[in-house]
Amino acid sequence: MSSPEAVVRGRDGTEQQLSDDAPSFARETVVGLSALLVAGLLVYGWSLGFHLQNAHNGLIAGSFTAVGLYVVRMRPRHREARLFLAVGMLHAVMFVGRQHGLHEAPLAGAAWLGWLGVWPLPLAIAVSGWALMAFPDGRLLSRRWRLPLGVMLGTATVMSLVSALWPVEHERMGLVAGHPLDVPGADAVAAMWRYAGAAYLGFQALWTAAVVVRLRRAQGDERRQLLWLVYAVVMALVLLVASMVVLGSAVPGLLALPLIPLAAAAAILKYRLYDIDPVVSKTIVIGAMLTVATAGYVAVVVGVGALVPAPDGLLSILATALVALVFAPLRLRARRLADRIVYGPRVTPYEALSQLSTQLSTAREGLLDGIAATVRNAVGATEVVVWVGDEGHLVPTSVWPGPVDTEPATLAELGGAQRHVRPVRHHGTVRGALTFRKPVGEPLSADEDRLLDDLVAQTGLVIVNEAQRAELQAAARRIVSAQDAARRRIERDLHDGTQQRLVTLGLELGALAERAEASGGADLANRVMSARTQLLDATSELRELARGLHPSVLTQAGLPDALRTLADRSSVPVRLDVDLAERPPVEVEATVYFLVSEALTNAARHAEASLATVVLARDKSALRVEVTDDGKGGARLGDGSGLQGLADRLAALGANLELDSPLGGGTRLGTVIPCA
Amino acid sequence: MRVILADDAVLFREGMARILAEIGFTIVDHVTDAASLVERVRSDPPDVVITDLRMPPGFADEGIEAAAAIRSFAPQVGLMLLSQYVEVHHALRLMNEFSGGVGYLLKDRVSDLGAFATDVRRVAAGDVVIDPELVALLVGRRRQHDPIARLSEREREVLGLMARGLSNAALSSELHLSPKTVEGYVSSIFTKLDLAPDQRENRRVLAVLRFLRDQ
Repeated sequence: MSSPEAVVRGRDGTEQQLSDDAPSFARETVVGLSALLVAGLLVYGWSLGFHLQNAHNGLIAGSFTAVGLYVVRMRPRHREARLFLAVGMLHAVMFVGRQHGLHEAPLAGAAWLGWLGVWPLPLAIAVSGWALMAFPDGRLLSRRWRLPLGVMLGTATVMSLVSALWPVEHERMGLVAGHPLDVPGADAVAAMWRYAGAAYLGFQALWTAAVVVRLRRAQGDERRQLLWLVYAVVMALVLLVASMVVLGSAVPGLLALPLIPLAAAAAILKYRLYDIDPVVSKTIVIGAMLTVATAGYVAVVVGVGALVPAPDGLLSILATALVALVFAPLRLRARRLADRIVYGPRVTPYEALSQLSTQLSTAREGLLDGIAATVRNAVGATEVVVWVGDEGHLVPTSVWPGPVDTEPATLAELGGAQRHVRPVRHHGTVRGALTFRKPVGEPLSADEDRLLDDLVAQTGLVIVNEAQRAELQAAARRIVSAQDAARRRIERDLHDGTQQRLVTLGLELGALAERAEASGGADLANRVMSARTQLLDATSELRELARGLHPSVLTQAGLPDALRTLADRSSVPVRLDVDLAERPPVEVEATVYFLVSEALTNAARHAEASLATVVLARDKSALRVEVTDDGKGGARLGDGSGLQGLADRLAALGANLELDSPLGGGTRLGTVIPCA
Repeated sequence: MRVILADDAVLFREGMARILAEIGFTIVDHVTDAASLVERVRSDPPDVVITDLRMPPGFADEGIEAAAAIRSFAPQVGLMLLSQYVEVHHALRLMNEFSGGVGYLLKDRVSDLGAFATDVRRVAAGDVVIDPELVALLVGRRRQHDPIARLSEREREVLGLMARGLSNAALSSELHLSPKTVEGYVSSIFTKLDLAPDQRENRRVLAVLRFLRDQ
């Protein structure tokens, strides 16, 4: 009875069954009998009295066994649950053994049962460490962790064996009976046992390192599961230390030990229902409040009481009033601190809006990314999507945290579990939408709601601006293309019409001159020849004009040859560095040609340069062209140099004209034209 | 001398046909595009073909393509290419692909009938002809480290004529110099410019054009 969506792929690539399936009768029996056995042991153990030094074993035994059995009942193949069971049962055995051995009036078999309560300790610690290292799925993070785990388990086994044979850990347990065995060499072994402390420290270091590394690499669900565990461990430690310091007793801290398996169970079984973040956040708030309130109270009662003689009751009232006075602002600060720790930096509405307006006024691209990031900062969202389009078709245009991998959708489809949807309207028409998720269990506050209204309005403006900008650019590009087409057409018309006629006319004049000369009209022949020369000059001028309109070599042979032709005709020596694998779009080709042509003309006519260098390079998304000369510089846009027209042409293609021409320092003219 | 003309501009083509006939050429046929030119030459090869470089259907370099096709099946036919523009890369391509018997001129040249007739005859005889404007452009280019400056005035003149395709014999008649003197100039130029001497005419033109362009 497993639901298909509950099958996920594990880290090792195998499919893991995450769903709870109904336990079979056989499994119920085994689980029930195990529970009865451990419960019986524990009841018997506790019935023998309370011993602080052994209480934690009982608590660990009960909680780990219960959690292990509960998970095994749901998912019999869950490796982590089996490890938990091992931990619980080892501790159950130790607990009963020690309870028996600690009984003031020595019980029957006190020596052997007490012995059983002592020597498994290293093994129990090592297995607990293993359970922590393998959390949450019972598998190690990678094969590399097998060796240290093996060393730990091996060392613990050896230590347990030694402890079973010689009384190395017996004395500090306070058992009524001594070690039941008398194996020779006890002194030598005891001397060596001094290093056992180091081994225990090593065990601790190993599992701590394993959990930290795992937490750093984990993402998504596994990260949330681990956070539950880490939260429980930290809380247990904090409570232990706090109870020792404040109350001078370890009992409350020990009572917190079951927190760890309970948190682990929550993580394994229910991590999707309860998000850890609000829990951590509220713990921080409450912890901070308690600390500060206590500190304030103590400071007033003890500090002021020592300086000013005043009745205790009055001081208490004063302290209470003071704490009450600072309570509200303190709570706000603690809350902010907690949010900052748990959710990362989150800004105030004012900060959010001013950041956004700075971004909108400076950046030209990625404005929607800026909006997504602002929404994330403003409401602490875990996911933000900015959609652009109309009600029936919205395209996800910016996603935080990226990348964009969502399918387009209609406005009605956008809602969903935990997802807030804000349609973006402009003059009543839907132009897009903002969707975001907040951490589970954190509602949208009234402040955030108002801030979102402002952000949605800004988003509308950005989307409309963006659309208008795109339309303008497309129109400009069409104008450039149309202009290029017109230039090509005029050149073609000249070539096929006027130029042919003039050349034919020259041919006729040449023939006329021959004939005049043959018939003895030398004067007539001279005049015809002179007319022909003038005609040839006119043809030559027309040829240059046509070449300037649109060089046929550009259409026929492409940019490298066309630039070569420009270099051939340039009166300034030109160094060409052209790297172009495939032909760019025609309007880009023409633009580059005109840019180089303009730059070379400028270098020759105005800059008196002695060398010009042309560099043309193409990568996946853009074409970069740069012309530098060593002339006198001082070129300006808009002084009739034709550079302004070039800048406009480039703007239409989404590029900027870069002009760097200091007086006396040469001229650099360049651009990067986007072309996919 | 038998000629086939190819040009898509009717007036020019017919004018040229008429005038070439007047000065003694036999116009076998004139056609309007590259495909019919190749077909016409295949059925009745003339001594020389005079063709426009840019013709239908693509108005790119159909003339050169047709010339290459003709050279493959009728290598004895001289090929004269005319164009409204003369471009260095076309000249280099022609020198590279054709071992001789090829010319590349501005259409304007046709109006000087005497010179044009001579050029057509030279191409028919297997010589190379390159337009003087193209050569003037290359020789006149400003260079950063100008090796041409090392040449004497006379040597520079010889270099230009070499680039236009003139053989040693043609040089000596053009410059009214003895063949031996011409040989002296040529070898001096090749030494000064550090060029490898080559007897094949198109190779010599190619080397000189490349040198002029790249330096």
